[in-house]
Amino acid sequence: MAEGKLTQTGGPGITVTRSREEGLEGEILTVNFGPQHPSTHGVLRLVVDLDGEMVQGVRPVIGYLHTGIEKQMEALRWQQAVVLTDRHDYLQPPINNLAYALAVERLMGVEAPLRAQGLRVIMSELTRIASHLLWLATSGLELGAMGIYFYCFREREKVLAMNEEISGFRMHTSYIRPGGVSGDATERFLEMLDAFIEEMPGNIDEYEALLTDNPIWRARTRGVGVLSADDAIALGATGPMIRGSGLPWDLRKRRPYSGYEQYDWEVAVETAGDCYARYLVRVKEMRESVKILRQALDRLPDGPINVDERKMLPPPREELETSMEAVIHHFKLFTEGYSPPPGDVYVGVEGARGEHGVYAVSDGTHKPRRVKFRSASFVNIQSVEPMSLGSMIADMIAIIGTVDTVLGDVDR
Amino acid sequence: MGDEWIAVPREAIRETMTDLKDQGYASYVFMTCVDHLATPLVEPPPERFELVYQLRNMETGHELRVRVYLPESDPRAPSVHDIYRPANWDERETYDMFGILFEGHPRLTRILMPEDWLGHPLRRDFPVGGEPVEFSEDYEAWQTAPPEA
Amino acid sequence: MGIEQLAEALGDNVLTTTLGKVVGWGRANSVWPAQFGLACCAIEMMHAAGPGFDLARFGSEAFRASPRQADLMIVAGRVSQKMAPVLRLIYDQMPEPKWVISMGACASSAGVFNNYAILQGVDKIVPVDVYVPGCPPRPEDLINGLMILQEKIKAQGIKPRL
Repeated sequence: MAEGKLTQTGGPGITVTRSREEGLEGEILTVNFGPQHPSTHGVLRLVVDLDGEMVQGVRPVIGYLHTGIEKQMEALRWQQAVVLTDRHDYLQPPINNLAYALAVERLMGVEAPLRAQGLRVIMSELTRIASHLLWLATSGLELGAMGIYFYCFREREKVLAMNEEISGFRMHTSYIRPGGVSGDATERFLEMLDAFIEEMPGNIDEYEALLTDNPIWRARTRGVGVLSADDAIALGATGPMIRGSGLPWDLRKRRPYSGYEQYDWEVAVETAGDCYARYLVRVKEMRESVKILRQALDRLPDGPINVDERKMLPPPREELETSMEAVIHHFKLFTEGYSPPPGDVYVGVEGARGEHGVYAVSDGTHKPRRVKFRSASFVNIQSVEPMSLGSMIADMIAIIGTVDTVLGDVDR
Repeated sequence: MGDEWIAVPREAIRETMTDLKDQGYASYVFMTCVDHLATPLVEPPPERFELVYQLRNMETGHELRVRVYLPESDPRAPSVHDIYRPANWDERETYDMFGILFEGHPRLTRILMPEDWLGHPLRRDFPVGGEPVEFSEDYEAWQTAPPEA
Repeated sequence: MGIEQLAEALGDNVLTTTLGKVVGWGRANSVWPAQFGLACCAIEMMHAAGPGFDLARFGSEAFRASPRQADLMIVAGRVSQKMAPVLRLIYDQMPEPKWVISMGACASSAGVFNNYAILQGVDKIVPVDVYVPGCPPRPEDLINGLMILQEKIKAQGIKPRL
């Protein structure tokens, strides 16, 4: 093999040059980064071709968590299928619910009331913070920083406690449903939210103090996994993947939904396109989410939490004693369920890892004809190969971590 | 907010996609298939399988849906993976779930189900599967141990 | 002079017990789980190991990545058709004595997903010792399941499992 030189920047002021002597033949070794692996964020399998320690090819093999959610939703009614949307991308259940609820509401031609929209924004942003906290905890753990795991999970416990207060569930809340939300915010929830908003910026400062200027963190993430802006668009990457490469594409700003246009916040953008840039983007997104939460909490209007459409949501129990129509609506909703008019609609929302979309097709019956999830991780995983060619195998851990895949999202 | 769509015949997919990409629809959102077997619609769609592509223009934010109808007897379509890279995996998934063959795809294999799986799960005539649930009222029907005396 | 009289003579410095109890006590209080988080239950398992509900107090300090160094497999999450052979392979790679906790509704009985893609209960391929229901179970439920398993291990003693 001819002589080749590899120059790699290991951090500020550090350059590593490797050269291969003439006549030294290399052998490609195929290694399995198996489905059971502590660092693959779930059951992802990567078949990696290695030349020494340099990666020459990556083939992701997915399907180890395929659950048949889309098929199962065709067997359930429209209002029952909300429960399955939680389990799809299990780090951001309310955001999955929101995409589905918006799609069904658009099919039915209704819009949720303002208090419900405010509560939806609050739950979405809390979930975004929780998802980024888990990403930070596991990324740190994989690269060797164990302490950040405990800091982040301390905050996550608070978010899950708030989830439990408002919906009864810690994780799979099914809180945001077509027509509104499932229950109103209690006094205790609002107090917990207020306390959380007050102390969260200080906590984010703690995480930054641990990692941002840490020379080991910088050495392992700067220059690793570079994705240019053109590549990001061509590969269909969304979320922090594209915002870390310089493009301020955020669906909450470009195609706002559920009242996001009224809040004052910035899109987190970095230009370097490497793992460190995406880390900074996600930390900044956490800060912006806290800002949105403050505004949403202050402006939360009073009013109903569900749309007043009897064909979609059951009437209040008191009416059942006096009105015959209420009894008929109640009966029909709980035996057959509502039937949106025929049509199809696509709604994309900004999830924690990119664009999460629901394409819902209705044929006029009470069960969906087809519900397709446009999942962010399914598309983002296709970026792993271009980002990791030519890097070392230890960098692959950082790259898989920065893509922030959730295998439930990929395999559905 | 209307979702705009255009319907194109199968032969014109690649030309349409190239034109749209030149016009600025650089971002590929998703592609999927809908199975209209036994549809209760008053005006049923012309064919059984409907391929749906969604493209987006990132400057204006406009989204466009492209529909293609494929007959049941001949579910083939040309692949667009060289025009839009994310279509590579979406086409493999559509093949896996619906059985649509994409001509020109470099490696059309199953992606979500095991390699040796038979059948295409998201087709309407494939059963949902699973096990019948054993309710406690039907105890006599499914209990295997003799009842306690 | 019997062994008990000798022990009494030595006072409080000596405990007498049976070998089975000592081995059972040792095994139960240092159960090391293998990392087998598949889906959402894995997140609650992480919470159980996190600062809020500390699993390390019960001896499960080290979640081993390699099954050859682990005693317990907590199947946390839904098992799909493609993953089932992998799960059996990992179970076979664990050395005896080994135990399995089936965490969550999906591992115990496929939970919400009664369809073609999910194995209807992980006990179809591996023998399960403790089932922890929930979707996902709270971290306290998992800790409760672990404590029940600890009682089971102590009762097992040194008898080999067939």
